[in-house]
Amino acid sequence: MKMIRAIVRPETADNVTEGLAEAGFYSMTKMSVFGRGKQKGLTVGNVHYDELPKVLIIIVVEDKSVDEVMKVIQYKAYTGGEGDGKIFVSPVEQVRTVRTGSNEL
Amino acid sequence: MKEIIAMIRPSKMNATKKSLDELNVPSVTAIPVLGRGNQRGINTILAGIEVSKDVLAKAHITGMKFVPKRMLVIVAKDEEVEIIVDAIIKSNKTGYIGDGKIFICPTDNALKVRTKESGDAAL
Repeated sequence: MKMIRAIVRPETADNVTEGLAEAGFYSMTKMSVFGRGKQKGLTVGNVHYDELPKVLIIIVVEDKSVDEVMKVIQYKAYTGGEGDGKIFVSPVEQVRTVRTGSNEL
Repeated sequence: MKEIIAMIRPSKMNATKKSLDELNVPSVTAIPVLGRGNQRGINTILAGIEVSKDVLAKAHITGMKFVPKRMLVIVAKDEEVEIIVDAIIKSNKTGYIGDGKIFICPTDNALKVRTKESGDAAL
């Protein structure tokens, strides 16, 4: 299993979650975060914003679905501008469902 | 060491914290998040909640697509993972949909900022 953490713009977050739902991936967690990338934030006129609002989406899937999920997220979150976001993939060794105690997703 | 990521109900936070305190593994980070699982959030029709026709007509409400949860992040020594996971399940299991999920991920290293210790000593 892999954990996919995608940092996307708040404006595209709904597109991403709907796109994932259409592709059959419903289970996910999302949260509002602040961050910056290589561009070190954004300067508008006199004001420099060094932390920009983003949405972090966490989705854990079987290894075979990772490529599809990454493709959907990248396609739905893309605008072409800097600040579109990043996707990280990390391993998950075990999973437990609290309601049943089972070891499956 | 392992990172234990648990999505639980906000109302179970106190019970979970208490059980972790009792085990002497109190270190945890908690984040309010929105989430959904296999049941795709809360659907009023499936949950048997009555919604009046006026409300449905105006607002098209059929439920919650995302449900508020708490995400707990605990980094623990390998030998403590089982007791922590068991304690979380015991404090949170109600048998109803929405009890949550626990993910256990490998962690390479940890560092304590105050003392610069790393490895298990940092936990």
